[in-house]
Amino acid sequence: MNQADVTKLISQLRIAVRPSQRNLKNSDGPEGRLLKLRKTVTALMKHERIELYYNRADEARGYAELVRIISNGYNISSLHSIPIPKQLISNAIRHGDRHKATMELADYWLLEKQLVHKLFKVLVPRYENYNVSYTRMYRAPRDYPGMYYRQSVLELRGNPYPSLVMDQSHNRNLLHNVLLDEARKEFRRKKLADLVN
Amino acid sequence: MVKFIKMNVSRAMSKRWAQQCVFNRIVTFSTKPTQHAAAVSEPAAEQKTVSTPAAAAAQPATTTPAPTTARKPIVPSNYRFIYPEFLPDPKVEWRNPIREKLERLDMLDRRRQIDLPEFYVGSIMAVTSSDPHAAGKTSRFVGICINRDRCGLRSRFVLRNVIDHQGMEVVYELYDPTIQKVEVLRLEKRLDDNLFYLRDALPEYSTFDENMEAEHLEEGAPVPVNDIKVVLRPRPWLERWERQNLLGVANIDQYIKDKHRKSAERVQKPWEKFDMMKQYRSTIPEEEQKEVFAEVHTELHSMELQRKRNKRKRTFVKPKQLA
Amino acid sequence: MSRATKLHKASWCALSQLQQYRTKSNFSTSIASRNELFAQEQRRQRDAVGRIDKIEVRYLGLPEDVTLVMNNHISTPFNCAQHLSEGHCRRTALALIDGSVPWDMHRPLQESCTLQLLNFNVSEPHVVNKAFWRTCSFMLGAALTRAFKTEANLQLHSFPGPNIKSGSFIHDIVLETQNWQPSKSEMRAISAEMIRLAAQDLRIERLDVQQEIAQEIFKDSKYKSEQLPSIAQQNNGRVSLYRLGDHIDISRGPMVASTHFLGKCTVSAAHKLAEEGSAGAFYRIQGVALPCGFKLSHVAYGLLEERSQKLNPARLPHEPFEEQQQLQLS
Repeated sequence: MNQADVTKLISQLRIAVRPSQRNLKNSDGPEGRLLKLRKTVTALMKHERIELYYNRADEARGYAELVRIISNGYNISSLHSIPIPKQLISNAIRHGDRHKATMELADYWLLEKQLVHKLFKVLVPRYENYNVSYTRMYRAPRDYPGMYYRQSVLELRGNPYPSLVMDQSHNRNLLHNVLLDEARKEFRRKKLADLVN
Repeated sequence: MVKFIKMNVSRAMSKRWAQQCVFNRIVTFSTKPTQHAAAVSEPAAEQKTVSTPAAAAAQPATTTPAPTTARKPIVPSNYRFIYPEFLPDPKVEWRNPIREKLERLDMLDRRRQIDLPEFYVGSIMAVTSSDPHAAGKTSRFVGICINRDRCGLRSRFVLRNVIDHQGMEVVYELYDPTIQKVEVLRLEKRLDDNLFYLRDALPEYSTFDENMEAEHLEEGAPVPVNDIKVVLRPRPWLERWERQNLLGVANIDQYIKDKHRKSAERVQKPWEKFDMMKQYRSTIPEEEQKEVFAEVHTELHSMELQRKRNKRKRTFVKPKQLA
Repeated sequence: MSRATKLHKASWCALSQLQQYRTKSNFSTSIASRNELFAQEQRRQRDAVGRIDKIEVRYLGLPEDVTLVMNNHISTPFNCAQHLSEGHCRRTALALIDGSVPWDMHRPLQESCTLQLLNFNVSEPHVVNKAFWRTCSFMLGAALTRAFKTEANLQLHSFPGPNIKSGSFIHDIVLETQNWQPSKSEMRAISAEMIRLAAQDLRIERLDVQQEIAQEIFKDSKYKSEQLPSIAQQNNGRVSLYRLGDHIDISRGPMVASTHFLGKCTVSAAHKLAEEGSAGAFYRIQGVALPCGFKLSHVAYGLLEERSQKLNPARLPHEPFEEQQQLQLS
């Protein structure tokens, strides 16, 4: 039985979060784990699509989303301050820029300092009106024979590269679209006939 | 007897309602635009809270805050500080949405029977609980709240006092039915989350008069923060207070030696304050908090209003014995 | 969860045992002899190749355009795909020769050509879609043969050319009874047979035979024997047969490479078309299917199922053939 920590108010992460963290193996222990994850998050912000092992990708994903959420300016109110109502994203970018704790966090997590600028100037406006997660993770083919670890591709939504998933909704010649279009036409014809009658 | 039946009825109805709501889980992510999330939770609050008054049919007519058709009840943002026990356990393995819903209903039921006031760690409280071995079958304990723990029906708080030069702490469960009365004699906050260091502080910081009178706080005034700095006794201590970054301790530097500093440095985890996922896992996300409090808001608000009315009534009517 | 899967497995085992018993009883000499003749003819055609000539097959597509040297009349587009990757083998449904001629994956190539390997997600999937629809009709015939008991005296008639826009694929059959009202569970059982065929990942092989051999193969089937002369006439005395497991049927056009391309499938309706007097009645079995890899919400798929229940206006089997209609027989 624990009591939830009410000093911080964090928004819901829109990804599946494991109940406990993965203690990724590292010779420097927990600090080394966080350093590795910082490098991963930095690379993700920089390249917007990276391929890496699944476990680290899953861990880094949570941190990447939180960096984004916190930089959006979701309030990190302390126990004794008057609770600030959750700011709209438009004000919050300002708030994010100025808020000391947010800047410290962004500074810690993004090892390359120009990415802090990219975070606040490019990514925050991009994700202003999103109601889905900011990252996407795919499973990648495993290297058999060889290092048979689970691979994954982690990418930010809205990245400039071509999509990794087949978009089957736009090609109207695909079988399911042909069937659906015909069904729709027939429905409309029938409706028109009913109206005429 | 009536109470038992009513609780049974409401429990049965709530169980049925909970069964119907089995798939009405707490949403894991919001599928509605963020700007409209607040607007959505309000009709949801109305919907859900309408059923709870329906369940407790025998309730005296509680004047729910009469919202006009335009205005909708908005859950105050400080509810998570006043009623932290309504929030579920942050440990995912121990979560059970149906059990949590039922617990919340039971908590509201209990709150209708007894007034559980708002209090924080550092408030001085008096708890009257039933004691089969005491003279008048009740025992009253006055003390400072040094800790609030746990969630749901198991939520508890610890009161500390020094009586006859003997420090004592009593652990009370907030929703214990044997508790007859909880009074807050002095409502205030302290600089720390818990005051366990009072065990190693000078006894005067934990001594409170048993016959202390309740101190009145202005309505609507913010809860005062007592920034008293406690003086610790010399070592040995029960815990390593120097490692806990306590704000409410005055003379800790007096007792820190180099060896303490060195061993503390070795154990430091400065990266933990940047470990956002750890912080996330120890909290309940905002959307979930909103949902939880939206469920219970109307009831709690009406109870608060009732409490205010009762207070006013009491201060007004005070018959004096003449001669 | 495990108990449910154990129960499921137990019922599955029982079902498959029942199935095997049924197929054993159905596995009459006619099917055995048919398959024997088919295999014999296949072997004969392979042996008749004689000296193996080489052809140059120019493959156009991903990952890069290459020229493959393959064996004339022996190598199939599937063998070409094997030179490229396992993914190509698994994902390709149909081959396109010289940019215009659709070709079965397991049909031997006959001359040097350009080859394209098509799957369902290409930008112009019309040919593949038609082949898929045709294969669904073909598989429906196989599923019906497996599903019905011998007492029902099922005789497959034919299936008309694929028309995707009609919303359903068809197979026309003759049953001994004149008043068969299919129940939902029966339809579901036939759909389950289709899915079972898909799960078995059976290769679909093509064989071009002379009319006499075809007559020999289909001597037990009244309707097929009647159709064969007209079919052969259209095709220079040759008939193209397709085999799937132990089910053989006549069809013109290309089929997809394997049954595993069938994703979601529903056999939705059986309409009585006409009576055959003492022999029974004609029925039109209709269904709708999606290739594997296509995700559709249950609402959208439900709409397609509903639409496929309406009687398909394709050529009726019992009406006399006309020249144009014969051309459509595929």
